[in-house]
Amino acid sequence: MAEAMVMNAAASPTIGKAPAPTGMEAALEQSLLDVGIPPRPLILERVGEEMRKEEPDFRHLGELISADVSLAAGLLKTANSAYFGFRSRARTVTQALVMLGLNVSSRAIAGLALRKVFLAVPAMERFWDASARVARVSGWLVGRLGVRDGVRPDDAYTFGLFRDCGIPILMKKFPQYAAILKEADADPERVFTEVEQVRCPTNHAIVGSLMAQNWWLPGETSDAIRCHHDAVILAAGPLGIAPASVRMVALAQLAEFLVQRIGGQSATHEWEKLGCTCRQLLQLDGDGAEALLPDAESVVLEAIG
Amino acid sequence: MDAIGFDPLTGFLDRGGCLRAAVRLAEFCRRQDKPFSVLWADLDRFKQVNESFGHLGGDAVIAMVARRLGDAVAGRAEAARMGGDEFVFLVPSCDRRRAEQIAEELLRTITMPVEVGNIRMRPSGSVGVAVLDDAEESLALIERADRAMLEAKRLGGGRYVVSGDEQVPGRVGVLLAREELLIESQIHAALESGGLTLHYQPIINFNGSIESAEALMRCEVQGQSLAPGKIIPVAEKTGLISRLGEWSMLNAAQHARRLRDHGFATKVAVNVSRAQLMAPRFVEALYAALYCGDIEPSLLELELTESLFLDVSETVQTNLKAARQAGVSLAIDDFGTGYSCLANLKDIPASKLKLDRAFISVLPDDRRALAVVRAIAQLGRELGMTIVAEGVETERQFDILAELNVDAVQGFLRARPMDGEALVEWLRRW
Repeated sequence: MAEAMVMNAAASPTIGKAPAPTGMEAALEQSLLDVGIPPRPLILERVGEEMRKEEPDFRHLGELISADVSLAAGLLKTANSAYFGFRSRARTVTQALVMLGLNVSSRAIAGLALRKVFLAVPAMERFWDASARVARVSGWLVGRLGVRDGVRPDDAYTFGLFRDCGIPILMKKFPQYAAILKEADADPERVFTEVEQVRCPTNHAIVGSLMAQNWWLPGETSDAIRCHHDAVILAAGPLGIAPASVRMVALAQLAEFLVQRIGGQSATHEWEKLGCTCRQLLQLDGDGAEALLPDAESVVLEAIG
Repeated sequence: MDAIGFDPLTGFLDRGGCLRAAVRLAEFCRRQDKPFSVLWADLDRFKQVNESFGHLGGDAVIAMVARRLGDAVAGRAEAARMGGDEFVFLVPSCDRRRAEQIAEELLRTITMPVEVGNIRMRPSGSVGVAVLDDAEESLALIERADRAMLEAKRLGGGRYVVSGDEQVPGRVGVLLAREELLIESQIHAALESGGLTLHYQPIINFNGSIESAEALMRCEVQGQSLAPGKIIPVAEKTGLISRLGEWSMLNAAQHARRLRDHGFATKVAVNVSRAQLMAPRFVEALYAALYCGDIEPSLLELELTESLFLDVSETVQTNLKAARQAGVSLAIDDFGTGYSCLANLKDIPASKLKLDRAFISVLPDDRRALAVVRAIAQLGRELGMTIVAEGVETERQFDILAELNVDAVQGFLRARPMDGEALVEWLRRW
């Protein structure tokens, strides 16, 4: 399984015949290799389709690319690499797309897809799907609940997208990881990451946090990824992590609750473990989360997947 | 079942309980407009105690010292055990003067004789004191106390240091503090804007094969380079070292994979400091780097910098053992200077010894240095370790090191540090 997932350009049989990558394409390719998460084939296919049109809809392309963990991370790392020498830095997926140019980014991605740089991909539909939906709903929630602690829709979206990015890395490493996740999902009491660590020497939150640092995301985002299952840290106030980190975690947790309730997907116990803390952090009363369900429905259903 | 938030051995608060109590007490003191002090006490050379009495005996010593310390501060402070031989005392309504008195009492209490079995010993301790500043977070306060304790240890132990006193007083001190703040903000900027890179210097065996490549961090913010010598002390003080360290581990692992993909199974060595090895979840982060980098653990090596040897605590040893179990190799850097000593060879599961450049740069003229290098090379060989000479700059040095049976060399003579792409090219040409 591990071998099947590696996106190895050098191993691709078509590389020899393909045109040489451009500067941007080469940088993106290296970033994507370093990200180590395969892009969702469905998204690559749709990007390709759109780019083959005479007049591609770049807004739609932007939405597609932003909904994919791997492509979004690759673009962020590329935009923030010293190589391009941008004076400002990209904190969010949207900013990365603006800095690199939507047109150029879309062409680079379509080029890589054409060169079949992305090899065989195992089924990770649930991960891709959940990440895109949680991201979308997190961004929407900021619109509903307001910008606080400096967390804007784009920040919440980016965190929601990358929150669980450690999962595919561990899936690649541990054949039994899907079963571990299932066990953690089903555990009504223990901290999610503690369940993971009984059977592997690290957990997806730490893996994700290191990856976020590697993509040059703000410290608040990587801290939030690291602590997103830790109710003690979330409730620790000044002793814990920055208010922006805590808010991003709470927004994404609420988003996940809404997605699971509306989508009828396999529910986890995370809302039972963290919901109370999250509601307090977001200043929602007892029924506050449920009250958002009707309005959230169209957002969840619109989300890709 | 043990009560949550309490340490079963001593009955003190545990780390989590301590952090929660610190928040509560800091808030209480702020509301009452009272000072709040934290004292961090640590036994000096506790490892020797463990060795003398065994782990069970070590626990008995901890329990005994804890009971005495608890009695000494009863009714005045909340006591906590942070792990191993580390204790924290949270003292509400306590200003600097009173905190210093308590520090002296703690030091006196620690030095009271301890008897386990028929062995009698007199431990010593180091204490760090920090008094809550306006608007300071309680975690930062505890960290300051920890750093002050380390400073006390650095000064030889058996004493206390008040946080803030480490700095040079007066105008120079203010300028230094300001410079540190600037450096701290630059480290943050570098961490979030692609300002960090790793350069690599090959280490070459005498048979011509490549032993490994040492990853050296470069930091650049807005076109300005920051020397590691300036960054690392500030990063250690502010806790940013963990982040820099995790970034380095992951990037070193990723570069090892790139090298492997290019056909070079070259081990990449990355520096780790004591602060990193003391950080919670060091081992989890190490595994995360290996998994994200997608490499075999044997392609990563941890170089242990001299700050580690200030006090090889139980936490550090546990983490180093776990790193070895993960399959990552360990090298002792800058051996022969600073705090490193022969005892480290026995205590640290390292397979490589890097002789400090101070011994190499004076070869061949300095006969004493020559004797030291010869002796260490012999010792290392008998311990089954690979011996590397750092800072090799001349052919004459190279020849002498070959005669002394040193295994490998690192230095400008054969290769300077270079960026990742240049290393691939260099390996191709080598």
